[in-house]
Amino acid sequence: MARSTGKDAQALFHSLRSAYAATPTTLKIIDLYVGFAVFTALIQVVYMAIVGSFPFNSFLSGVLSCVGTAVLAVCLRIQVNKDNKEFKDLPPERAFADFVLCNLVLHLVIMNFLG
Amino acid sequence: MAKLLLYLTLATSLIPLFSVAFSPENPTDRRVLVLVDDFAIKSSHSLYFGSLTSRGFQLEFKLADDPNIGLQRYGQYLYDALVLFCPSVERFGGSIDVASIVDFVDSGHDLIVAADSNASDLIREVATECGVDFDEDPAAMVIDHINYAVSNFDGDHTLIASDDFIKADAPVLFQGIGHSLNPANSLVLKVLSASSSAYSANPKSKLSNPPSLTGSAISLVSVVQARNNARILITGSLSMFSNRFFRSGVQKAGSSIKHEKSGNEQFLTEISKWVFHERGHLKAVNVRHHKVGESDEPAIYRINDDLEYSVEIYEWSGTSWEPYVSDDVQVQFYMMSPYVLKTLSTDQKGHYSAEFKVPDVYGVFQFKVEYQRLGYTSLSLSKQIPVRPYRHNEYERFLPAAYPYYGSAFSMMAGFFIFTIVHLYSK
Repeated sequence: MARSTGKDAQALFHSLRSAYAATPTTLKIIDLYVGFAVFTALIQVVYMAIVGSFPFNSFLSGVLSCVGTAVLAVCLRIQVNKDNKEFKDLPPERAFADFVLCNLVLHLVIMNFLG
Repeated sequence: MAKLLLYLTLATSLIPLFSVAFSPENPTDRRVLVLVDDFAIKSSHSLYFGSLTSRGFQLEFKLADDPNIGLQRYGQYLYDALVLFCPSVERFGGSIDVASIVDFVDSGHDLIVAADSNASDLIREVATECGVDFDEDPAAMVIDHINYAVSNFDGDHTLIASDDFIKADAPVLFQGIGHSLNPANSLVLKVLSASSSAYSANPKSKLSNPPSLTGSAISLVSVVQARNNARILITGSLSMFSNRFFRSGVQKAGSSIKHEKSGNEQFLTEISKWVFHERGHLKAVNVRHHKVGESDEPAIYRINDDLEYSVEIYEWSGTSWEPYVSDDVQVQFYMMSPYVLKTLSTDQKGHYSAEFKVPDVYGVFQFKVEYQRLGYTSLSLSKQIPVRPYRHNEYERFLPAAYPYYGSAFSMMAGFFIFTIVHLYSK
């Protein structure tokens, strides 16, 4: 049984990789951006676990900037993806403009909360 | 006319000089009232009184039941110190009684009380008010069959040669009643105690039950320094001050050393110097505090300030103020309990200073110096100073602990900028 689950996992992983290779470059760039944001958030959480949460507002501000960035990037990816039937009629420029505006508001709030 | 004017100015300018007695600038007593049972004491104790007058004291001798004596008139004290050489007085004359003597001491004046083997209840009461208790048996004297002084006419071993203290050339002769001190009393001190072979009993009658006062619990000479720095000397032997004892030689029974002169004169001279504030008197002046690096005294400090506290302490040498040198004067920064306790360092010229950091607590603090040492007047200085917390713009602007968060926020902004460029201009 273990061998078959091992083989199944490997097969799954291979199919995932080949399917992912077929995605357009634009989306891959967005995925990279999201990964960078989440990675930065993880670094901050580990740092807080070591040092303690003393300037808690700064910690929240830093983590939320990463999380907010990731969330907005994911929204952009959803709206820009041509295979997504829900947003078929939305022009990608409109999606990008929303993305930029929301990021501006996010960074304004983050700078205020950073202390 | 000019001569008259000259004499007048001279006379008026000398008046303040006559009144400079027992002031804070010159703490030695000047005018001393000596109450005696009869004036024969003046001549039989002339050596002791002579030593006092030669040091500048103005002695006034009065009989203890003289109806004209009084310690104060119109609310002002006439004398700086009182000497009671009247062990058998039943009632003081004039306006003196136990309460007025206690008030006299309470106002900071000094007292010497000498009892003897026929001490009256009044003298015992005065001593009890001062904190020592004479033996209740009215006929008891201190007897010591081992440490007695060999003499020609005494056969009952009541003349004691005591050398239970340091730095005397010869033993001190004592003949009289003993007293005991309450061990809980921290103000009273035994100067000369009887040896462990002494006891207090009637020498003329047989002992029916064991004596209540024995051994070194018997104190022969005690001093009391009150909290207002008034000093009291209490002893149970008036003859200790007499010329006869001053001049006689001493030979302790059982030892072959024969001292030419007893240690009475030296001992009593030194202890009178202490009682009348010629020695062991301290004053602390010039309390200053300021921030390190500044020189004027601020009205308020902030937490975590560095400050410096300084004080000058002088000791009276009998004629002038000398710098007091010691390494155990401490200052407290006190609010309900001492937050900082620091030993002051001295420059050997009487100037003491210490530097410390204001604690991380705000409130109203006091700089307190509480200095009580054996034989010296107690110093109790206190200066109040408030301490405030940080103002809102006195905190650190950027916290080093939060640098990663600052970094991540800015890196997100940079990443967003780069990403928009890449996203827009890639195919």
